[in-house]
Amino acid sequence: MNIVILLLLIAGIAVSLVFGKADGVLSALQSGAASAVENILRLSGAYLLWMGLLNIAEKAGLIGALSHLLSPVLNLLFPNAKEAREAISMNLAANMLGMGNAATPYGLEAMRLMEQSNPRGGVATNEMCVLLVVNASCLELFPATLVGIRSGFGSAAPSAVVLPTLLSSLCSTVVAVVLCLLFTRPCSSRS
Amino acid sequence: MFIAVLILALLLYAAVRRVNVFEAFREGAARAIPLLKTILPTLAVFSAAMALFRESGASELLASVLSPVFRFLGVDPALVPLILVRPFSGSGALAALTDVFAQYGPDSRIGLTASVLLGSSETIFYTLALYFGSVGVKRTRFAVPAALLALFTSIVTGLLFSTLFFGAR
Repeated sequence: MNIVILLLLIAGIAVSLVFGKADGVLSALQSGAASAVENILRLSGAYLLWMGLLNIAEKAGLIGALSHLLSPVLNLLFPNAKEAREAISMNLAANMLGMGNAATPYGLEAMRLMEQSNPRGGVATNEMCVLLVVNASCLELFPATLVGIRSGFGSAAPSAVVLPTLLSSLCSTVVAVVLCLLFTRPCSSRS
Repeated sequence: MFIAVLILALLLYAAVRRVNVFEAFREGAARAIPLLKTILPTLAVFSAAMALFRESGASELLASVLSPVFRFLGVDPALVPLILVRPFSGSGALAALTDVFAQYGPDSRIGLTASVLLGSSETIFYTLALYFGSVGVKRTRFAVPAALLALFTSIVTGLLFSTLFFGAR
């Protein structure tokens, strides 16, 4: 991130100097920073609304119900992580509903429980790697905040992206699950 | 229509389960405030750098140099910042998305594609560092290459489904 920003700034100033537009540098930087305030206002509507609604969903037990539905898949992917099963399912269910921030505490709790029963401390277990990979592919049933942000920017069809997002993340999740099974199965059958 | 029905269903279900909707909403919305506070500075740095990069002419210069490559890959140059930043920083990717929305609009072909790309990928390097770092795991075995492959797949399928749903550029 540091390198990206540094390159953008240095290239921007250098090109301005070459093109003789050095006087525009300050105003470009400042109007850019000011537009951050405009954009945070559009974002804040989406975040306040959807984090409120998603907390209602959590309190009503919807995430618990979803994680219950996930249990057959979890048996396949996490055969040796009995103690962390609940935290893992809550982590994945929250991710599927676009609640990345609610998912993180559950994910960290799952990692802690798995490291406790890790015979080789400091070396990732199969289950830890699978949790990370499935998190990376992030199947997205309903990207709540994304839809809200689109609406905040005046979209006429904020939910037009829900289906392509679901299908695209489904593909990457299938790839992730297949990769995990390829990496973990030979090891677990040998031991 | 879809969203309205979804929210109605959620509220009815919550009412049946005797959830205090008012309190639950307040509690959730309260958690958004620290989040927005951390996003604003990132947004400011990114927006300032992007504005300078655009208005100096550096962006056009880079696009004209790279456009054959991107045309070959079928990626609009405007999406490149989002794709590059996505694995490292969630708020950085959000800043790139708002930049695309402000420049082209959320319902433009680029805005729609940017939405799908952001929605179907994850901040994997941040998540890897946070999760493994929290328990002191140093040897991460297959997690990094497999997570990278999953990310790569989501970018390719994201571009693919965008073309399928929203038409070619």
